[in-house]
Amino acid sequence: MLVIVVLTALAFDFTNGFHDTANVVATSISTRAIGPRRAIGMASVLNFVGAFISLKVADTVGQGFVDTHLVTTTVVFAGLVGAIAWNLITWYFGLPSSSSHAMIGGLVGAVIAASGWGGANGHGLLTKLILPALVSPLVAFLAAGIAVVIVYRIIGRVRPGAVNRGFRLGQVVSSALLALSHGTNDAQKTMGVITLALVASGKLSAQHFHVPLWVVIAAASAISLGTFSGGWRIIKTLGTKIIAMDPAQGFVAQTAGAAVILAASRGGYPLSTTHVISGGITGAGAGKRLSAVRWGVAGEIVTAWVLTLPCAALMAALIYGVVHLFGGGDAGPLVLSGLMLLVLAAVFRRRR
Amino acid sequence: MTVLLAAGTAGTILKVAYSAVIASVLISVAFALAVLGFARSADMRRVDRHVAASVYTTLAVCALVLCAAAAVYGVILVGQKS
Repeated sequence: MLVIVVLTALAFDFTNGFHDTANVVATSISTRAIGPRRAIGMASVLNFVGAFISLKVADTVGQGFVDTHLVTTTVVFAGLVGAIAWNLITWYFGLPSSSSHAMIGGLVGAVIAASGWGGANGHGLLTKLILPALVSPLVAFLAAGIAVVIVYRIIGRVRPGAVNRGFRLGQVVSSALLALSHGTNDAQKTMGVITLALVASGKLSAQHFHVPLWVVIAAASAISLGTFSGGWRIIKTLGTKIIAMDPAQGFVAQTAGAAVILAASRGGYPLSTTHVISGGITGAGAGKRLSAVRWGVAGEIVTAWVLTLPCAALMAALIYGVVHLFGGGDAGPLVLSGLMLLVLAAVFRRRR
Repeated sequence: MTVLLAAGTAGTILKVAYSAVIASVLISVAFALAVLGFARSADMRRVDRHVAASVYTTLAVCALVLCAAAAVYGVILVGQKS
């Protein structure tokens, strides 16, 4: 059972990288600062490196949201499958929802289905997830908005050719920083969940919660491979549909995103990188001209954000119920894992 | 106790928020100054104003160094244990 859970967690990590490539490279590609293949290759390597920088977010995910004593490997499995299902649905519709919130929502939904409302840590969810989730896109919006206003005042009378060349070069570095910051936050979430599964199966002690090195390497590799596979639908939504960006706006949006994610990783907050970069992009657009932002598309994205936590929780609870229909053994998880692999294969075929 | 915890959490989130705003504005403004410096420096060199060109180049290099230092410092801070 533990092997199935670890493989499912790594599959989730893969879809997370696949889904979130857009956050890191969309603006660079849309302003033609860097070619798509090179951008995705760079993001993939830096996501891997970023995963080794800090483990605070993994600790928060592993211990902060559910009662670790009530978690079983079946709960972790159901939570992960619920999150993967929600990720694939939002990917299919091209909506940049949050993989992180899907994962945490799935975990909470499954633990509630298994042990009742007492299994969820309401205070942890509010202070470590919901408040940062509300604040982080606003901070990125504000940071990008202020920065873009000042930047335009500085470069206002400079030749546009020189400005665009300069900021395209800058975007290569800012997207590298964003990819690195993504690794410091997103790869950690799977590490936290795998470590939680190890605790649930008795392989690790809850009192000495720490992420083993093999977990760090496996999670970093999975997210990196997922990133390399890319998610073109979401790149299109983020890169062109919210605002038509120039290189200066792209640079500012990416810098604001990276700064918010790095600051949150230092505090141990598992942010949604999707929320943050969307906030940065919208702020960079609004700072130049409020009407430049396609608020309708931004509204669709907000709807996806709001739905993610409850929908992933509901799916995970349903999957927990289905697994229970098969009894307590490995049959349920094996059947569901097989089904999930078939769906993933179909998704890949469609992408190609 | 709950109030103290809530205040502590709000304080930490506020610190994360203002650090991120300051860092992103600082890096963006410094990079804009670098772009301005290099562009003006090329303009000045074209009309043979070499002193002005050197001043703009110095501004651009200093701004770039500031950008790089801020980014590296940020990554080092994240990697620290506390």
